[in-house]
Amino acid sequence: MNIDKNENAIVIIGSGAGGGQMAYQLTKEGIPCVCLEAGPFLKPEDYSNDEWSAFLQMAWLDARGTSGSWRVNKDFPGLPTWLVKAVGGTTTHWAGATPRFLDYEFKTRTTYGDVEGASLLDWPISLKDMEPYYDKAEKAIGSTHRHGRPALPANNNYKVFANGAERVGYKYYATGPYGTNAEPYDGRPGSIQDGFNFQGDKNSSKWSTAVSEIPKALKTGLLDLRPQSHVVQITHNKSGLVDAVIYVDANGDIQRQAAKVICVAGNSIESPRLLLNSASNMFPGGLANSSDQVGRNYMRHMTGSVYARFEKEVNFYRGETMAGFIGDEVINDPSRGFVGGYYMETLALGPAFLSSFLDPGAWGADFAKMMDGYSNIAGMWLVGEDMPQATNRVTLSDSIKDQYGMPAPNVHFDDHPNDIAMRNYAYEKAEALYNSVGAVQIFRTPPYPSTHNLGTNRMSARPEDGVVNKWGQTHDIKNLFVSDGSIMTTGAAANPTLTITALAIRQGEYLVSELKKGNL
Amino acid sequence: MKFTRRNFLLGTASSTALIKMWAALNVAEAKIVAGSSNKERKLLDKMVRTLYPHNTFPNGPYDRTTEDVINKGNADAGKMLMMRDGLRDLEKNSFGDLSFNEATKYLKSIEGSPFFNHVRGTSVVTLYNDKEVWDVLGYEGASFDKGGYVNRGFNDLDWLPEPRIEEHPDHANFFVATQNKLAAKQTNANQ
Repeated sequence: MNIDKNENAIVIIGSGAGGGQMAYQLTKEGIPCVCLEAGPFLKPEDYSNDEWSAFLQMAWLDARGTSGSWRVNKDFPGLPTWLVKAVGGTTTHWAGATPRFLDYEFKTRTTYGDVEGASLLDWPISLKDMEPYYDKAEKAIGSTHRHGRPALPANNNYKVFANGAERVGYKYYATGPYGTNAEPYDGRPGSIQDGFNFQGDKNSSKWSTAVSEIPKALKTGLLDLRPQSHVVQITHNKSGLVDAVIYVDANGDIQRQAAKVICVAGNSIESPRLLLNSASNMFPGGLANSSDQVGRNYMRHMTGSVYARFEKEVNFYRGETMAGFIGDEVINDPSRGFVGGYYMETLALGPAFLSSFLDPGAWGADFAKMMDGYSNIAGMWLVGEDMPQATNRVTLSDSIKDQYGMPAPNVHFDDHPNDIAMRNYAYEKAEALYNSVGAVQIFRTPPYPSTHNLGTNRMSARPEDGVVNKWGQTHDIKNLFVSDGSIMTTGAAANPTLTITALAIRQGEYLVSELKKGNL
Repeated sequence: MKFTRRNFLLGTASSTALIKMWAALNVAEAKIVAGSSNKERKLLDKMVRTLYPHNTFPNGPYDRTTEDVINKGNADAGKMLMMRDGLRDLEKNSFGDLSFNEATKYLKSIEGSPFFNHVRGTSVVTLYNDKEVWDVLGYEGASFDKGGYVNRGFNDLDWLPEPRIEEHPDHANFFVATQNKLAAKQTNANQ
């Protein structure tokens, strides 16, 4: 449907896990909305099954700055993240892992105590509050191993991974929960194990909002989806309520859409950036920023990868990329030398990306030997909770501007000693696992540009501690919501998409009820 | 200036490593010409082969990679001068006559220089994105048009036993039970 630009609409900025879900939650309840998406509407037939060309097709490559001691700043300066600019956002690129947060991960300040240098805070909600929404999110996504959905079969990479797990004494391994159909579900087919995933799934077996919620919302006739519409500012009225967004459309023309309610869902870099770029006389520090927390506490998960070469063939590029989990290390056991836990998850790359990411900058005979054994390589990703730090922060760059002349975001990140201790411990455990099944050469791979970006508009019970309340509504402006992973108070060990989805479903219900009550 | 991906990539952030990787995918048209003589081309070819030595790779991928190193190394005047100087240094140090180990040692000594970074950064992208290299490495790439790998070996590994794919029966209790146990341990330790 077409919504008039002068009509005070419900406006959603972004169409990924948070924004796409919000669009569906509202329209299915009969509430029309405008969804502004910076990128184009790529369809499964458009996806390229080639790593570099897919990266150029959909990665968010707008100008950005990086700073800090994290290795990404050295290896990939100017590319802090690996996110998608397209309808569906980064759900097009996500692998599919859907673990839930654990009970203690909602109350880390209480559980971990005072960790020096960390700005830990308990969430204003608990696992109990989230459980019904986790159920709904798992059903929306079609997670394997949950609600009667069957497990994906073991692929070659998983066989190495799971056998290693068994030999080193791990018990809690499986091929899921994973957001890709093992058999047809929700109108989408079962996996054909085509090996492409980060590039978008041409077979649509993988859930994304681009193939699920957005088409469903469009079917209601109540969604005005505007791709290639990049929002540059949110404006407000004299009483301090937001009243419109300014955006640049596909033709480069500047447009204004009047708004009654605005949901910001541009991911943890763009969402705080937009709030900061919307500073005004009334809100000189940016919108919803009376706490000075907008952009702070940026988290990207403790990550790392381990790739191991074996005597015999693995062919790890065939099959579902991340359909393999080990949960045994997802515990808070400070005797390991760090607080919080981490998952081990299978991961595979083609030669093009493996050569660039295996050990960025590496060359020579050892590197070539590893690549020569490409067919015999198995790989895993390590992903764990990182410590929020007030100084890890998205700010507006004073020197870099984007293609629209707007200040670009600068992403500053320093690893916390806890992150480093966890990474080193996890590397050792991963190596032990691969050695137990006969690895002949092993590489420790440093973090890639971040796909998990969290915390920069965090949820807090008290307005002075964060940006949004327990519904994702900003403490300062009642008709301004944040609907993406930036509202996470802390990051947990789990991959974030399931939790973003669950939070969006929960926020959608709240927003619908507030609108029906006439509170907004 | 009209915004395009290309002038963004080359313009605002051309010093970054990844930008070089992206730029490496767009073959630059060059009139000249650092690296155009046979002698210079041979030096570059040897440098690429020393950086990424694979006995199993045919000449084609190395030739194409060297070609790309030359083209991108002449994308603008600044690059051309950088290439020219780098090649002069290779020549001055008789790089062409060095054994593999000596050549490796020499490259180690210039690691991090703009010339080294250009040749390495371009090579790693172009060489390992070469379809002939994929064949040698046994990477079959896109499979969607062939029905995926579901009937073409996604699970054909047979040197290890078939693992369990379902979650462990205790899985649901694991996190809660383990956490309670650890919490109790903590409490005892604190007492």
